[in-house]
Amino acid sequence: MAGVIKKTTGLVGLAVSHNPHERLRILYTKILGSLQTMPQDAAYRKYTEQLITQRFNHVKSEHDVEKLEKKINCGQIEEVISQAEAELALSRKMTEWKPWEPLVEEAPANQWKWPI
Amino acid sequence: MAASLVRFVRSGFGRSLNVAKQSAAIVQTRTTTTETRPTVRPKDPVTHTQLSEFGEYIAEILPKYVQQVQVTCFNELEVMIHPEGIIPVLTFLKDHTNSQFNNMIDLTAVDVPTRQYRFEIVYNLLSLRYNSRIRVKTYTDELTPLDSSVPVHQAADWYEREIWDMFGVFFANHPDLRRILTDYGFEGHPFRKDFPLSGYVEVRYDDEVKRVVAEPVELTQEFRKFDLNSPWEAFPAYREPKDAPKLESGDKPAK
Repeated sequence: MAGVIKKTTGLVGLAVSHNPHERLRILYTKILGSLQTMPQDAAYRKYTEQLITQRFNHVKSEHDVEKLEKKINCGQIEEVISQAEAELALSRKMTEWKPWEPLVEEAPANQWKWPI
Repeated sequence: MAASLVRFVRSGFGRSLNVAKQSAAIVQTRTTTTETRPTVRPKDPVTHTQLSEFGEYIAEILPKYVQQVQVTCFNELEVMIHPEGIIPVLTFLKDHTNSQFNNMIDLTAVDVPTRQYRFEIVYNLLSLRYNSRIRVKTYTDELTPLDSSVPVHQAADWYEREIWDMFGVFFANHPDLRRILTDYGFEGHPFRKDFPLSGYVEVRYDDEVKRVVAEPVELTQEFRKFDLNSPWEAFPAYREPKDAPKLESGDKPAK
């Protein structure tokens, strides 16, 4: 069964990936590298490192694509690849925005009060 | 997906206090009686805790912009942010693997004239992967521009045009911010609370000039304003605590 590549993802515009393990390996290493630029105690870095290393371990241990999809449990492997690409872009933008800093400005006193 | 989140409670996490105090999130927990009336919506504490944990997760990752997080009594998660954080928060919610809110359902504004920042901009997002919804709220006043969310969600294009047209909130970096619902030469922002119901102008066809002209509105009947206050208290659950009369120093308390 290993070595049979699926014909189609079933999703319009999403092509079947021929080397998903390789692609995920590259993306996850890049994400982890980008996370290193953030301070150690940043919550985004903590949670994302945890999540990405968990998925990375799945990718490293499981060589069958279908079983890997089940292990990660987040849709097809091509969707997992696009999630990783989005996470990589996000982590690069997070290093610019630095959202772990304290609150920029408090809202005025009655801003969120409801009913008025 | 809350099962995959590690619940990490920081000490002095002030935001979680706001969740408890928030007026819209008062959940009357009936721990002993089971609700039998069919017209009363059954409470779902499991979803409520999942959503509030996810709200804390977001507030922990983005403390720079998130001012408040609440879960309404209908189990809807709302995140209130500072207007500078529109693009970061929306990009985070769209791209992060644990959230994946890549669908913008709605973008509206609410006008509350009594506030300092009268317009409250509301973004409704949907995550197809996790089948969950979230609401992001910001604020602005009549003159301060907001960042356009079109680079993040293409769907925001016409919604922001509508907010500009109807409320007068300007969106910076919008690809094409022009009127969308009002007439071509229309002046004013109709959805503001101080804009009258009948408007200021009415149009009619004038045969002399052979075109439609706009003239000040003439109502056949003078506008009647009804006083709709009822003698009974409307919201007993949201009573404000009355301040006790304060004594100046030197006064003796009355016996």
